[in-house]
Amino acid sequence: MYSYIVRRLAFGAVTVVGVSIVVFFVLRVLPGDPLVAIFGPEGLMKLTAEQRASYMAQLGLSDPLIVQYLRWVGDILNGSFGHSFFRSESVAEMIARRGPLTAEIAAISVVLSWLVGIPVAIISALRPNSIGDNISRFLSILFLAIPGFWLAMLIVLALLFGFGYRAPLANVPFFTDPAANLQIVVGPALVLGLGQAAYIARMARSSLLEVVREDYVRTARAKGLNGRLVIALHALPNALLPVVTLSGILLGFVLAGSIPVERAFGTPGLGYAMYTAVSERDIFVMQNLVFLYSIVFVLLNIMVDLTSAWLDPRIRYR
Amino acid sequence: MSVTQPDAALPLQPSRALPSLPRRVARGLRIFARRAPMSAFWGCVAAAIIVMALAAPVIAPKDPTRADFRHMTKPPSALNYFGTDQIGRDTLSRVIYGSRASLTVAAGAVLLGTTLGALWGLACGYFGGRFDIISQRIIEFLQSFPDLILAMAIAMALGAGMGTVIVAIAITRIPFGGRVIRAVVLSLKELSYVEAARGLGASHLRMMGRHILPQCVAPYLILATTHLGVAIIIEAALGFLGVGIPPPTPTWGNMLADSLNAGLVPPWWLVLFPGAAITLTVLAFNLLGDGIRDALDPRLRGAV
Repeated sequence: MYSYIVRRLAFGAVTVVGVSIVVFFVLRVLPGDPLVAIFGPEGLMKLTAEQRASYMAQLGLSDPLIVQYLRWVGDILNGSFGHSFFRSESVAEMIARRGPLTAEIAAISVVLSWLVGIPVAIISALRPNSIGDNISRFLSILFLAIPGFWLAMLIVLALLFGFGYRAPLANVPFFTDPAANLQIVVGPALVLGLGQAAYIARMARSSLLEVVREDYVRTARAKGLNGRLVIALHALPNALLPVVTLSGILLGFVLAGSIPVERAFGTPGLGYAMYTAVSERDIFVMQNLVFLYSIVFVLLNIMVDLTSAWLDPRIRYR
Repeated sequence: MSVTQPDAALPLQPSRALPSLPRRVARGLRIFARRAPMSAFWGCVAAAIIVMALAAPVIAPKDPTRADFRHMTKPPSALNYFGTDQIGRDTLSRVIYGSRASLTVAAGAVLLGTTLGALWGLACGYFGGRFDIISQRIIEFLQSFPDLILAMAIAMALGAGMGTVIVAIAITRIPFGGRVIRAVVLSLKELSYVEAARGLGASHLRMMGRHILPQCVAPYLILATTHLGVAIIIEAALGFLGVGIPPPTPTWGNMLADSLNAGLVPPWWLVLFPGAAITLTVLAFNLLGDGIRDALDPRLRGAV
């Protein structure tokens, strides 16, 4: 197991370096002129040559690309995520202030997705092609098709028209005012949780259907074990292995999905900051946030691999 | 000469000749409709949406970009069935025209990204070795980003426009095509008919094009239909976040983003209709994709 962990971590480190190169390439090299990304093509036309040169020098953009890359990586290693082009708050402060909210949303949404997805999958898989199975399959396909941010807008509208209610817009940490904090968090968590639940229900259903046909399940039935206990003790734990993997991968996609969902709810989390950075063309904030999100994504993937290796010895001895 | 010649022993019967291609396709579709009526229904919905996009100028009751300042932010009525937005543009016409942007981007991204990925995967699986190892690392780096974030970053870096949105989404599709097709090719390579072809001295190009590529068509079609739905959602999200196709082109994502600017409370008809259009389109393509998967490759039932 330890050698597996070491190998996986080493590989993860290589991935992070590769990811940093991709981020740098996409946001600094691809635009050709970084000022295009900041001002837009029309805005750049209005700048005079001297203005361009002074902006380039001021932002450290006139150095060779490799120097810029190393400086960026060095800053991050020093814990400095740089400054926004438009705001006084440093990116590190922004992450510290807004990050917990988004993390809370992601965590609650994962719990919700299991609470909804697994029972639905069990109902589905125990009686394949029954009415209940067909309904739950259609619902999961429907929730795969509904864009989360649209569902979010509908919920905001329904609450406003139905109850005249709007979730508070100011950021409140959980420990200062749990009630207000939960009102902010519950909407995005519900939307993102239902989206994941659809995937989880599909995966858990097909995995359960496979496991139910295994010999050890038949043996458990043959020795006279109650049908429910067979599912709960023998089938489910084995069927859930691929679901754990999927859930971890989905969590990474939830971080991305929370950007438009937080925008729709007006949630003051990190996803909203990402939206602001994109709409303001704030390339430095964008670069650091994209890098942060992808590091979290890589770490999640490592955790998923280690968890499944821990749960399933066949993987770690390969 | 004692070599048996099976072909000579079995004279070809003229009645066995294959019918023409259109007939075969029509027959295949009939069988598909009989075996999977639900998938066929959703296939018809998808076809209807495609027709709607192609015939938008004929179907749409009004010009989707013309502002009408006498009818601003009006709820649905006999005049404008889906209401109007804050500068009086007809929502129904904008929803109809929005299908053009969505479908063009989705089709372009899938044709470009999934195809490129599939060909790359074909080469990786076929050649193997160092080329394969390096390619897999590059694909893993691309997969280390949630797809929406990568698409956002690329769309922002390249600047707004239909072409950049297509490229941005296409790049996020490459790893999926690469992985799936590579796995298919790896298992195909071991089959005896491929070995036989190699034994006969077929060139690499002939091996890949004539013997391996045709077997990849089914997984490619399944992948492509599923990714159409994903691409439509990403396009809408990009439009919603303001890095999609720039206004005044009507797209469903842009319309949802605009509705948030239409006052403190977004009018319900500006939220409901574009989002319902996205959901219906994605649903149709996903269910069609499921049907195609079941029809082409029953082994994959419930797997993808």
